[in-house]
Amino acid sequence: MQVPTLFIVWACKTLSWISRILRFGTGATWPGEVALRIDPHIFSSFASQFRKGIILVAGTNGKTTTALMIKTILEAQGLKVVYNASGANLENGIVSACIQSANWFGKIDADYGMFEIDENSLSQVLSDMRQETSKNQKLVIVLLNLFRDQLDRYGEVDVIAGKWEKALQATKATIVANADDPLVAHLGLQKKAIFFGINDKTKFLSKMEHATDSIFCLNCGSRLKYEGIYFSHLGIWSCTKCGEKRPKPDISEGKSPLPGLYNLYNTLAAMSVAKSLGLKMDLVGFHPAFGRQEEIGNTKIFLSKNPAGFNQSLRTVLELGAKQLLLVLNDRIPDGRDVSWIWDVDFEIIPKNVSVMVSGDRASDLALRLKYAGIKAKIYENLENALDTKETLYVLPTYSAMLNVRKILTGKKIL
Amino acid sequence: MKLSIAWLYPDLMSTYGDRGNVIVLQKRCQWRGIDATIVPITLETQNSELRTCDLIFMGGAQDRQQKLVGVDFLKNKGPVVKEMVEKGIPALFVCAAYQFVGHYYKPYQGEKIEGAGIFDLYTEHPGDQAKRLIGNVVAELSFQLSAISYQRKTIVGFENHGGRTYLGKGLQPLARVIKGFGNNGEDGYEGAVYKNAIGSYFHGPLLPKNPHIADWLIAKALAVKYDKPLVLQALDDSLEWQAHNQML
Repeated sequence: MQVPTLFIVWACKTLSWISRILRFGTGATWPGEVALRIDPHIFSSFASQFRKGIILVAGTNGKTTTALMIKTILEAQGLKVVYNASGANLENGIVSACIQSANWFGKIDADYGMFEIDENSLSQVLSDMRQETSKNQKLVIVLLNLFRDQLDRYGEVDVIAGKWEKALQATKATIVANADDPLVAHLGLQKKAIFFGINDKTKFLSKMEHATDSIFCLNCGSRLKYEGIYFSHLGIWSCTKCGEKRPKPDISEGKSPLPGLYNLYNTLAAMSVAKSLGLKMDLVGFHPAFGRQEEIGNTKIFLSKNPAGFNQSLRTVLELGAKQLLLVLNDRIPDGRDVSWIWDVDFEIIPKNVSVMVSGDRASDLALRLKYAGIKAKIYENLENALDTKETLYVLPTYSAMLNVRKILTGKKIL
Repeated sequence: MKLSIAWLYPDLMSTYGDRGNVIVLQKRCQWRGIDATIVPITLETQNSELRTCDLIFMGGAQDRQQKLVGVDFLKNKGPVVKEMVEKGIPALFVCAAYQFVGHYYKPYQGEKIEGAGIFDLYTEHPGDQAKRLIGNVVAELSFQLSAISYQRKTIVGFENHGGRTYLGKGLQPLARVIKGFGNNGEDGYEGAVYKNAIGSYFHGPLLPKNPHIADWLIAKALAVKYDKPLVLQALDDSLEWQAHNQML
């Protein structure tokens, strides 16, 4: 590591340390932000230090859970892992994680860098890493899925797929891709990916969900045909014209430590990474990430931030026998300012005997959506009152709402 | 009474919760004892089916999907929609559909993309560096919502568009922007009204929080179909207005 870089590491470590003592924050993003402002390519000097390699997890839904599963697998083999805090998945969060784990000489003592990465940051991080990843290091990129999410911030699904395609063109990385997502699989097919997918016809939906993004072929533009759909646009697909079809998965059998079909996908993705690294799949000791099926007392939290994720959370909690739901909708920056997407969620599947409460900045929008689904929801302006119950409560919040819920229940915002 | 609601390209032009508009139209009919059917009109649907409809909705799309729709709309369905709009059949075109019913869309690079020419308007993208017009919008209606008794003058919604739309001289704007950008961020107008058809940049679910617009479309559809003026039965819209007022 060069002297100026070392200086940046010192400065940022000191700042981060002072910040924690003064309780300004945990420093999950801003030490990295400061470092990147001084040296935009600082990540390359960290990336080259991981003894065995780097794993990047990208996708709209499931990044945090999948990354945690991979980390569990690596650590079960006695490997040392540096990872970024959940939500801190822009390049600044990744660099912050590196700074925090580096010693005062700027050295990182770890086998793997395991980072979840925001949809829009993948190309940047890859280009900052390219020259510096040494021959002995492995680079694995996991592409989980692409769903519509915060269109006001991320842009449209196809735009992201286009950016990924460009970013992946030059990389020699091993790609792990979801065979059941036509957008992601199309990218994987060009890179000879390791594919994961579900082979279980009993799990097909009887009716297609409305929140469906990619039912037209990325290769030729014709309509895709589905033998069956698991949820959203994930399923066993083929093009009616050019013959592009869902690749046969390399990994399709697994046991998920968490309920919900979406967690089976996360598990299969983690298993594929283990396979590509020649490691044993061992998820003993796995605990869900905060806000992802996390239980605090009698409250169970299912982060639900876009239509596909919300539909999956709803199905899962109803299967678990939920009788009392609290839906919390905020429209702050981390949630997306636009709440139009609630009209793409299939609230109509909630049975009549389930009581529904709503809260958050946009509780009245949610109550209105539910009215048109035939559900009379009770509006709670005060979130604390909504959480004040002795019975089992299933909470489906957007991101910032999830932090608020945790704060009320635990007294702390994150961990 | 019966209404058939045409939903144009539900599988291609439905990006921002556009379905909300169709749900609201259908429910508000059903709550009044009007039998409302949603007729999905997509690439493979015959024009004869489209012609049987009494109300038209078309929503937003991503670029790739819009291209897929392009030829079919311009050559096939667009001319039929134009005929229907000319006859007074009410329609709602939001977001990408609003641009599509104009004369053309000029991207910041490449050729002009021809529109269906139903509305006298055109759209231009000012360039790669120009900011997208994104955010909550409030506007005041600049035309009289006859046929219903609402006193409301405001409409609320969310916009997210790169293109700037300019209305021809004879075309009436839908509303005047109070908060937000509207058609182009310059002249203070939002949307357009031609005969009984409305175009708007308020994307996705425009109707849920603007029940007066929903009822105007329903009332017009019934008036045209049954050839007599009528007043719609009032509904309990307290939740609708609560969500509406929160945005003001």
